Amino acid sequence: MHEWALAESVIEATAAALGSRHPSCLLGVTVLLGELQAIDREIFTFALETLLQERPFRAASYTLQTDPARFRCTNCGREWTLAECTGLEEDAREAIHFLPETAHAFVRCPSCGSPDYRVQAGRGVRIESLTLDGAGSCA
Amino acid sequence: MIDPRSSVVASRLAGIGRIAAFCSAKGGVGKTLCTTLAGLVLAARGKNVGILDLDLQGSTAHLFLGVTPRMPREDKGILPLPVTDLESARGGGLVLMSAGVLAGNRALALRGHEVSDAILELLAVTIWGPLDALLLDLPPGIGEEVMDLARLVPRLEAFVVSTPSAASIPVVERLLGFLAEVHVPVAGVIANMTRGDGSPVRALASRFHARYAGEVAWEPRVEPALGSAARLGQTAAAAAMDAVLKEAGW
Repeated sequence: MHEWALAESVIEATAAALGSRHPSCLLGVTVLLGELQAIDREIFTFALETLLQERPFRAASYTLQTDPARFRCTNCGREWTLAECTGLEEDAREAIHFLPETAHAFVRCPSCGSPDYRVQAGRGVRIESLTLDGAGSCA
Repeated sequence: MIDPRSSVVASRLAGIGRIAAFCSAKGGVGKTLCTTLAGLVLAARGKNVGILDLDLQGSTAHLFLGVTPRMPREDKGILPLPVTDLESARGGGLVLMSAGVLAGNRALALRGHEVSDAILELLAVTIWGPLDALLLDLPPGIGEEVMDLARLVPRLEAFVVSTPSAASIPVVERLLGFLAEVHVPVAGVIANMTRGDGSPVRALASRFHARYAGEVAWEPRVEPALGSAARLGQTAAAAAMDAVLKEAGW
């Protein structure tokens, strides 16, 4: 249920980005859900909808997209996906869900076994874009 | 692309009375000991206190306080773990959040941007609720932890920890200079692990017009008390920390 905290952050960041524009200027928000964090889309959506009820820009459309996780080994250059991270125990998955950086405690390069790699994409929650009305006072 | 997490940090910390980072720049001077003692002392005074262990790669606050690594509970965020072994608390409480309780005793090798990401995530999703004080245990160095906290955490104060050693003073001096540059007020400079003479630390504080909060003498009873919050809270070091906090206006 910590999806609520992240959904709240999306709403607050959207409000900040909207600034002094009229709430109706916001047409849409595209949110990327990093595959590594394994956000429960249903809970996230419910949290978003519930929290938006109190906000003036609730009429905008909210689109959730999965951002596939990609890793690149600093040691050997191997690139891999989350599907290749086999054998992760439930506790490891939950730790990564809470704090994606803990992946470094559990995931190793499938080629050389190195813990030194970069999470190149799909870490956590990001706002990819805000779509604003380009007409009238919104422009 | 917008990272939304920083937009909720201030509201997550809004219900907290005071926030202090225990920092040093020099390793091995006892930052975690001072942080955990301060948490125990404040809890014993009846305060509700949180400790956030931001020494991500060397987290030990949970070991000091006897908190077994386990997954935290969730309630619209992540709830810190309670420190249950608090015999001396009078109605106060102590809770802890740490990457160490998530990763266990595995190496958590992180590069700089990942440290910043982890700090921001912990600040954004940890639900502290109302607290009298939040204490931040920092790793050595003047890296992401210090810079990110100075930027992200409103009302941040610093307790600067040093030993009287000539190996510590010049390094801690750099941190005091940095804190002045980023406008983080120093609540107190603490001489830790002293053996009769904290005067080099007092002189260091004086050079920066910072409050010298006093000393916590090296004490053999500390080591066997690690892992038990109750026993740690009964050491002379805890009594010394009580005096340090009072001197600092805490």
